[in-house]
Amino acid sequence: MKPPLIIVAGIAGVGVMALANGHYINLPSILANITAIAQQGNALQGNALQGNALQGNAQPVAATQVAAQTNPPAPTSTAPSPKVDETALRYFASKGDTKRLEAEIARLKALYPDWTPPEDPLAARPQGDPQLDQMWKLYSEGKLAEVRKAIADRQATQPDWQPPSDLLDRLAVAEAREQLVNASDVKQYDTVIRIGSANSSLLTCGDVDVLWRVAEAFARTKREDRARDAYLYILRNCAKPEERVATIQKALPLLSRQNLDQLLATEQKTADGKGEFAAIRGDIARQSLANADTDPKLVIADADLAAVQALANDGGLASDDLLLGWYYVRRDNPQSAESWFRKARQKENSAKASQGLALALINQSRPAEAEDILYQWRDADDDVRKVYLAAVANLLAITPPPPLAAPVLQRMVQEVYAAKDAGSAQQLGWYADALNQPQTAAQWFKLALDWKPDDEPSAYGLALTRWKIGDKAGVREIQAQWAGRSERIPTVGERSIQTTVVGRGRSGPRQRAPAAQTDDQTDAGAGKARRSAGRARQQSSGCSSSVDPVTLSTEAALSRGWCLMQANRPVEAAAAFDVALHGRGKTHADAAYGQSLAYLAAGLPDMAAVSAAKAPMDADRSIEIRTALLESQAANAFDQGRYVETIMALDERSHIAPERTGLMVLRGYAYLKLRRFDDAEQIFRAAAGTGSHDALKGLNDVKTARELKG
Amino acid sequence: MRLRGRFILVLAAGMLAVPWLSQQASSAEAVTTAEWALYKDKFLDPAGRIIDAANGGISHSEGQGYGLLLSYLAGNQGDFDRIWAFTRTEMMVRNDGLAAWKWDPATVPHISDTNNASDGDLLITYGLALAGTAWHRPDLTASAKSIAAALADGGLETVGDLVLLKPGKSGFAAADRKDGPVVNLSYWVFEALPVLAQLMPDGPWTQLANSGRTLLVASMKTGQASLPPDWISLKTVPAPADGFPKEFSYNAIRIPLYLIRAGDSDRTLLEPFATRMPDAAGQVRVVDIATGKTRHLLADAGYRIIPALVSCVLSGAPIGKDMQSFQPTDYYPSTLHLLALSYARRHHPECL
Repeated sequence: MKPPLIIVAGIAGVGVMALANGHYINLPSILANITAIAQQGNALQGNALQGNALQGNAQPVAATQVAAQTNPPAPTSTAPSPKVDETALRYFASKGDTKRLEAEIARLKALYPDWTPPEDPLAARPQGDPQLDQMWKLYSEGKLAEVRKAIADRQATQPDWQPPSDLLDRLAVAEAREQLVNASDVKQYDTVIRIGSANSSLLTCGDVDVLWRVAEAFARTKREDRARDAYLYILRNCAKPEERVATIQKALPLLSRQNLDQLLATEQKTADGKGEFAAIRGDIARQSLANADTDPKLVIADADLAAVQALANDGGLASDDLLLGWYYVRRDNPQSAESWFRKARQKENSAKASQGLALALINQSRPAEAEDILYQWRDADDDVRKVYLAAVANLLAITPPPPLAAPVLQRMVQEVYAAKDAGSAQQLGWYADALNQPQTAAQWFKLALDWKPDDEPSAYGLALTRWKIGDKAGVREIQAQWAGRSERIPTVGERSIQTTVVGRGRSGPRQRAPAAQTDDQTDAGAGKARRSAGRARQQSSGCSSSVDPVTLSTEAALSRGWCLMQANRPVEAAAAFDVALHGRGKTHADAAYGQSLAYLAAGLPDMAAVSAAKAPMDADRSIEIRTALLESQAANAFDQGRYVETIMALDERSHIAPERTGLMVLRGYAYLKLRRFDDAEQIFRAAAGTGSHDALKGLNDVKTARELKG
Repeated sequence: MRLRGRFILVLAAGMLAVPWLSQQASSAEAVTTAEWALYKDKFLDPAGRIIDAANGGISHSEGQGYGLLLSYLAGNQGDFDRIWAFTRTEMMVRNDGLAAWKWDPATVPHISDTNNASDGDLLITYGLALAGTAWHRPDLTASAKSIAAALADGGLETVGDLVLLKPGKSGFAAADRKDGPVVNLSYWVFEALPVLAQLMPDGPWTQLANSGRTLLVASMKTGQASLPPDWISLKTVPAPADGFPKEFSYNAIRIPLYLIRAGDSDRTLLEPFATRMPDAAGQVRVVDIATGKTRHLLADAGYRIIPALVSCVLSGAPIGKDMQSFQPTDYYPSTLHLLALSYARRHHPECL
């Protein structure tokens, strides 16, 4: 008769045993796999797990559960049983070792599907064999090597004695388990799979940890489908609620969403009608977002996004807001990212939340805010520091240079110096140069080169600034170093202003040197302040009233021109300068200079060029006008689709002035339009090195264009 | 290579003189029960690991290999089995089937470095193969074969006409370091190689043995010491490797012991060890390779017995009485001591 304690379900010996404490355990085995796996040799490849063991044997567990307490006393004799060695089982029962007892029953059931465990494992204790008992004791204490020794020692003294095969089998399986766990702990995944497939009796619901480790080994060796099969095996066969939930948690970081969904489809209802995985649905959605963070192309379900948003709004974990922030950063939606990072910071102001917020701000071309927010966290870790320095580089790269408070500039300078960050040092070089401090600029370019000797843009900047301060030998030195490695460095100073725009110049760069040097006694911030003061002096007379400039003296017209320039009324300024052009000497020259600036500001570069030619200018001014003209010409040419001219204008401009990041981007797009993908990529990459978001976008556009082409 | 032909002949003679089967047949209790009891009391943990107390109580694949060999020589199957059980479950975890070299009780996981050490792998294979044959244990022989195959598969490196034993699978090859390949001649467990050749006849074991002897001759000419450095760079001509003390030291002092145990009696190969390795009092010199000067002296009987054994094999002078009885000191010299004593006991009783 069939004992009521055990109900066999399915063809592969899925059984449920109810233990004395009423704790149910389902003890299937994938014994049916053993042959299949052994034949396959290569470790659970193919569909061994799924194809054999799992077919038809995953009967609902709940229906078979019977509480031990309700069992009637069982008869002592049962159906004729196969010859099964129950020594170990009885030993574990006698010691009250339920865990090992369960495992042993699972193992024997797997080996002998028709066998049923004795009602009372304690009923028939084997006859005394203290030495064997000692071996089982060592075994149950996990002293496997000592069991080996005890067996060998006994055989040495009793040559006829044979250890029970049960003991040898258990020992081999336990050793294999240790070896598998040890290999798993040191990430030797091939070993894990090799041992798992050679010891199929390890792969049971009685030891889900081993199944998890085998599944992980598959996932970590790029066999995700096999990993999924192993997890599915657990979910279709093993009943312990906490192990089922833990299985999903183990699989979460290792499986694609598609495979994970197959696991989730095995969800069972708990007694209160809820899905058993309900409590970790949030984690699943979170993982989905985390996956999307590592793979920007991954499309995730709206439901996952909504679930995490709900969690963030309701539960209040800053980490959820962070997940959302990073998700949106990677999805090129910096506005949404900013909003989530701000919420995260409200919950818990942390380095990571600030780092994300700073990135979102940089991506919205708001580097000043990014710098301000991240400054206090700059030392948190390398990643944060990188983002801080990117904010610095982006801030310095803005054209025209923004006014920066002296303390901000000072702290940025300190950080750039401490981090030996060549990219930001280069940007400080351009920044100083834009403020007419070539000496300071040269020092920064030199530093950038010290920190990154192969940084061509810094070498170029150094050459240009040296040329500006008249250090011809210095220029030649760099040109010699970079011969053959840079196209533009050898051309620095080739076409001077005197021969191009003004033509009749009297002042060479050298004559400027002393003045420049005094400028450079102070740092860039102070320089900026002084320059602003200089401009303010020029607008002292005021120009708010409307006056016909023709009625003014040439000097008054000149003053009014500058005043109108300050008031951002360039067309009226040009008219005022036109009157002043009738003056003589310095007034005449200043008027020509002012008028060309005015036309430039009014977006009339052709007229600006004409004005510039109306009077000789010193090198400073002619460079300023000429570079602005070329810049404007390049932009106009680009707008009109004349990309070759864009590049020619930029080339010419680069001979006399540094190519700022924005212009590098313009050049990149010109190359892109001309389908010179390599050139475009090269220039975008160089610009991106300074942290420019536009350049990064350019790189992406090159990639897209290439793909379209392909 | 000019020297090579001569050493092939030497090797052939050595192998003929002591076929490994005859060595094995006479091995039972080459280590006495009393000696083994002293040894295991001090160095064998009940869980089956050989403890190197001088190195922070760690265990390593070399120690496990020595443990297998010595328990085999002592005829103690129980201890052999527990050492092997530990080695198998705790250290044979690498994907390639070789042993992880270092097991540290103080770290979790205990394997604190998954690189292998090829001398450990060789010793383990050797111990398993000897025991498998002598005790009719096919399980041991099968394990020996699979480690031998793994060694042949990834533990060797062929450079020119030399077959080299990589000290570890990663970190020593030409591709891994500037002065690579780097070898350690004391990793050539010469006596094991004919056994591996029987286990796995298509493996390059004979070439490996020949290459080791060739390199040994060449490496003795790298400095005034006229002794081989522990670690040798083979980037060009053999030279002491970078990053290691340029010494004849704890590693290389095993080389003559291994040669003798392999049945080698070539005087030109052994003579330098008899004459240059000990000082006047018989202590072993750690020698600066370039200058040949003594850096310090090793007085443990386990070290001293090595040049004494070489002298006895070459000239018949008996080993000093104080070295004939075994007292355990530290794991390493005590291991060498038993290896030397057991060999003399079986093959050169006149030395005792």
